[in-house]
Amino acid sequence: MEKQSAFNIHPMDQFIIDPMLTGDSLEWYSFTNQALWMLISLVSISFVFIYGSRKHQLVPGRLQSIAELMYFFIRDMIIDIAGQEGLRYFPYIFTLFILILFGNVLGLLPYSFTYTSHIAVTGFLALSVFIAVTIIGFVKNGIGFLSLFWISSAPLALRPILLIIEVISYFVRPVSHSIRLAGNMMAGHAVIKVFAGFAGALGLGAIAPILAITAVYGLEMLVVVIQAYVFTILTCVYLNDALHPGH
Amino acid sequence: MASNSDNSAVGMPQLDFSTFPNQIFWLVVFCVVLFAIVKFFIIPRMEDIFANRRKIIDGNIAKAEEIRLRVSEIEKQIEEELQKAKSQCDEIMNASGNNIKEQMALALEDSKIATTQLISEAEGRLKELRDGSEAAIEKISEELASVIISKISRGK
Repeated sequence: MEKQSAFNIHPMDQFIIDPMLTGDSLEWYSFTNQALWMLISLVSISFVFIYGSRKHQLVPGRLQSIAELMYFFIRDMIIDIAGQEGLRYFPYIFTLFILILFGNVLGLLPYSFTYTSHIAVTGFLALSVFIAVTIIGFVKNGIGFLSLFWISSAPLALRPILLIIEVISYFVRPVSHSIRLAGNMMAGHAVIKVFAGFAGALGLGAIAPILAITAVYGLEMLVVVIQAYVFTILTCVYLNDALHPGH
Repeated sequence: MASNSDNSAVGMPQLDFSTFPNQIFWLVVFCVVLFAIVKFFIIPRMEDIFANRRKIIDGNIAKAEEIRLRVSEIEKQIEEELQKAKSQCDEIMNASGNNIKEQMALALEDSKIATTQLISEAEGRLKELRDGSEAAIEKISEELASVIISKISRGK
């Protein structure tokens, strides 16, 4: 089973779910490295949002500024995209955003585990969004929600074709939504790991891969934030479709 | 196919479906706890901070509005005072104009009186002179007449 290579690089090892307390057996309730990093993320979020703004400062300090920035960034985004009615769903969308953002950012720490790099996690989140948005759409608009697929602004002859395209694109949403995030996270971390493997094997020549790692790391800093943003903004767009299906 | 004895991944650990129940279980727990934190700690706190800030800003705006009102009131007062001063000034000017006119009239009257007096005096003197000259003419003509008479009587 084991592949032998000169460099002995295992870029995918960092994604292995490792039961930490129950030995080797992985039951559905086993506490894993993934669960540990979710816990660390929870602690970090509490630190920034609860400890950081404990003084309720009128003129915010550093941590409170960060917390306020994120809070009002998401709030304004929802209002911009889904309108005032979208604010009802702000707690859910904000939870989603900080869950992904902190997972992504903490995943950049050496020896950490990136729970957002797992398709099970992002798939679950994307499916939740998909199901929630579909339910909201039907509850708010009744059967009128289906007008989302019947593009009334297009010529009548084109509408059946557009209907097929729209229906397919609607059901592909959770797939693209989840794979985009997990794929980005996994690829970046795998690339860093590959370069790190080179660095370990090259001795003095390791300076080149280390420089490359530094560059990729800088890029990843950007990517992790952008992907959290993209996931959230797409959620808002889907929510807007559910609230106002007539475009 | 989770991992081999060396704990090295074969393929993508992400596609190891045997780990999915575990991952989703912990994710659900994580989501629920995080949502509770967001709902019961983060949002009330942020809204409180925001509301406080809003309140202070609104208070300042109200105060500014009040000051603006007071300024306009003061401006109105100044305008009123100015108007009053203007009318007072007009009054004073009118009064002094009247005064001057009166005095001028008085002076005119005085000068008229003086002039008439002078004129009557002059007329008196003229009359005196005339009376004097009439008397003189009478006297002269009397003398002249007596001379003529004597001359005539002598010539006879």
